[in-house]
Amino acid sequence: MGDRRDTIQSVDRAARILKALAAGSPRLGVSELGERLGLAKTTVHGLLRTLERQDLVEQDPETGKYRLGPELLQLGNAFLDHHELRGRSLVWADTLAERVGEAVRVGVLYGRRVLVVHHVFRPDDSVQILEVGASVPWHASALGKVHAAYLSADRRRTLVSGPLQRLTGRTIVEPHALALALEEVAAAGFATEAHEAVIGEGEVAAAVFDHRGHPVGAIGVVGPVERVLPAGPSAELVVALTDTAKRLSWEMGARRGRPGTVLHPGPRAGVGG
Amino acid sequence: MRLAKVTAVTTGVSAGRRGRRGAPPPFDAAFVARWLRGSAAEIAAHRDFLTQLDAAIGDADHGVNMDRGFAAVVSVVAAADGLSPGELLTQAGATLVLRVGGAAGPLYGSALREAGRSLGEASAFGLPELTSALEDALAGIVKLGAAEEGDKTIVDAWTPALRALRDARSAGAVAALHAARVAADEGAALTTPMEARKGRASYLGARSVGHQDPGAASTSLLFGALERAAAEVPPDR
Repeated sequence: MGDRRDTIQSVDRAARILKALAAGSPRLGVSELGERLGLAKTTVHGLLRTLERQDLVEQDPETGKYRLGPELLQLGNAFLDHHELRGRSLVWADTLAERVGEAVRVGVLYGRRVLVVHHVFRPDDSVQILEVGASVPWHASALGKVHAAYLSADRRRTLVSGPLQRLTGRTIVEPHALALALEEVAAAGFATEAHEAVIGEGEVAAAVFDHRGHPVGAIGVVGPVERVLPAGPSAELVVALTDTAKRLSWEMGARRGRPGTVLHPGPRAGVGG
Repeated sequence: MRLAKVTAVTTGVSAGRRGRRGAPPPFDAAFVARWLRGSAAEIAAHRDFLTQLDAAIGDADHGVNMDRGFAAVVSVVAAADGLSPGELLTQAGATLVLRVGGAAGPLYGSALREAGRSLGEASAFGLPELTSALEDALAGIVKLGAAEEGDKTIVDAWTPALRALRDARSAGAVAALHAARVAADEGAALTTPMEARKGRASYLGARSVGHQDPGAASTSLLFGALERAAAEVPPDR
């Protein structure tokens, strides 16, 4: 949380109430919230009434407990609508999904997690669940690894040495191994992930850069490991993906030429293109 | 004997002739084959149920994937003349990895392979060996998935089943496997109110609450088939 001197306590508390309602139990009473957040009941009550007036929370008329309000959906949608990378990726992601016949996700590293800001379903008739808004620990995601690989050495060190949750038995949770993996990713120009977030699932992702050559997110092809990464990703898939990421980077203002090279010149030529 | 008869009626099989203490090891390749065929039949019968569970919290392919995979296992069993029980399980596991997509293929596949490895080349084995094999199977699942009890996964059915199996080991094989099946059923049912902490369902957070975990549900089907495989005495023997 860092420096709190220039923040407003009640806004901070209101935000914590919203987050508490978003995590786990969908409905909480005033006392439960007070206990969880270490706040007096009267304080919580006042905050909830204020949030309710803004439709950010609503009270269940039967139980008197509070839950998240409808205005949050509007805010969430506005976030997505105004998200530049998401907006620019819509067409590219569709085209890529069509080209490789698999699902495509666009994600951005926020803190220690990758937020999925766009998701195109695999172009077949199967039932799939929209993962926009899902947030995956960065180190278990190809999107997260490839975004992180092009960050400054300082930021990479912070990420690598932070808490590394084990999502499956294949998640890389050893800082040194993860640091090496990031170097390989930067050299190759794309990241892969197999069984590291969800057993059976794999992803290949490439970073997207802005006009300064800084990574702003990543685009990835995701699907069953046996299809996306049968024995490493196919050359066709890597070419389609890195080509899409390059064009998307141009749209984001990146200079032509190989993005990311300014920050981290790779020791070897890129793999697959 | 009266009690044994009642049990036999409720499970619809002639229990009691096998698995008594002092008897030779009751399990062989034919038992493993019955288990795998029985599992395939259970999964086929519950395919839509499993798919519906998965549609609520996953991508609606668990029933279809498991059915396809176990149908392939049945062909392996049919073609596997002369294999030891362990080899049969290992081959079935490899088939599942290859033929079942999603998380279920790698998880059940490594479970059966570990069980097969544990049994080795022995042509017959008893309840202690079966218990160790199932424990190795669970260890394989945990190694791959890193899930614990309470994460709303397949582990929530396997773990109580193995606890019950160990606790009931002195009651004889059929009774112990019955206890394991009951515990697997209960464990699967208990996943309903849980919030998923592993797998794709964990992306959905609170949305997963109120739905049984499909993997735990299919695990209880496998333990059901295991109980019946042990209780059944094939007519030709």
